[in-house]
Amino acid sequence: MKKSILIITLLFSLNSYALTQKIEVLGMVCAFCAQGIEKSFGSVAHVKDIFVSLENYFVAIESKDGKSIDEKQIRTIITDAGYDVQKIEVVSDSVSVIREKYEAK
Amino acid sequence: MKVKSSSIISALLLISHQPFIYAAPMSFKGSTTSMSTISESYSSVESSYAITAKDSLGVKAYTSKGNGYKLKVGELVYLRRLLRVNKKHSQTNLWLFTGAGTMSLERNVQDDDHSYLSPTLQFDYETKKVYGLISHQILRVGHENFDTTKIEGGFSFYETGYNETQPWFILKAKNTNSLDNQNEYTPTLRFINKSIYGEVGLTTKGDPSLHLMYTF
Repeated sequence: MKKSILIITLLFSLNSYALTQKIEVLGMVCAFCAQGIEKSFGSVAHVKDIFVSLENYFVAIESKDGKSIDEKQIRTIITDAGYDVQKIEVVSDSVSVIREKYEAK
Repeated sequence: MKVKSSSIISALLLISHQPFIYAAPMSFKGSTTSMSTISESYSSVESSYAITAKDSLGVKAYTSKGNGYKLKVGELVYLRRLLRVNKKHSQTNLWLFTGAGTMSLERNVQDDDHSYLSPTLQFDYETKKVYGLISHQILRVGHENFDTTKIEGGFSFYETGYNETQPWFILKAKNTNSLDNQNEYTPTLRFINKSIYGEVGLTTKGDPSLHLMYTF
């Protein structure tokens, strides 16, 4: 019983710390250009994981500590890479789940 | 007024390209992009740093020959992205390249050094499946005119994911005043894999060319 409670608590705690933002990007048509987005988000301190989907025109970023990355900072990074942001939303899936979902397609 | 399609194609090809300018050597702000081209008549090496999302500064050296001319050039390049239109499925750009440098110009037995300022206007359009580019460079040195126009167009064989290598077929056409007697056509295979951008081409005269670009 104690073990189950511990596992459930741990799962909830992990879930509360995983926060993924999905950014729909305009103009992202080639990997050579899009790598700038990955490199720029990779240098942000609390970014844990990044996934770029050229096929579906979005970037997903997961932060380490459950804090979302400021939307203004996201827009600046995307704009500095040469693109425009269409939409930013918080999603419940981790980046690894999103990666599996979209790479399997 | 009726215009024959062959006339339109001929007109487009007449204002065709030259390898002084390839894809714009600029990536994201703070990045360094280096590229090199090697062919029988043209070799270059250049590197540029993106100081903003729209501006980069770089250095370039190249040699070019044709029609009895031999050019050796070293220049500073300022690249300005004048316009970018980002749509969900496409990207459209208008670029201004400004090169300033010195050219060693050799023709027959004469050898002169000149300084110059050379602007280039480039327009390109790209989706994940098609690509097109047209550009014109003004390069006047002494009494010589090396203005260049190029046209490129092509398609991707298939769409790829972000981590996969995407192959393209591109047909390039170019003409440089003084250096080329006629338009040069280069069927080219392009490969893009994130930081690496490579092209292998063979002109209709049978001259091979290799172009590599890398972003740090």
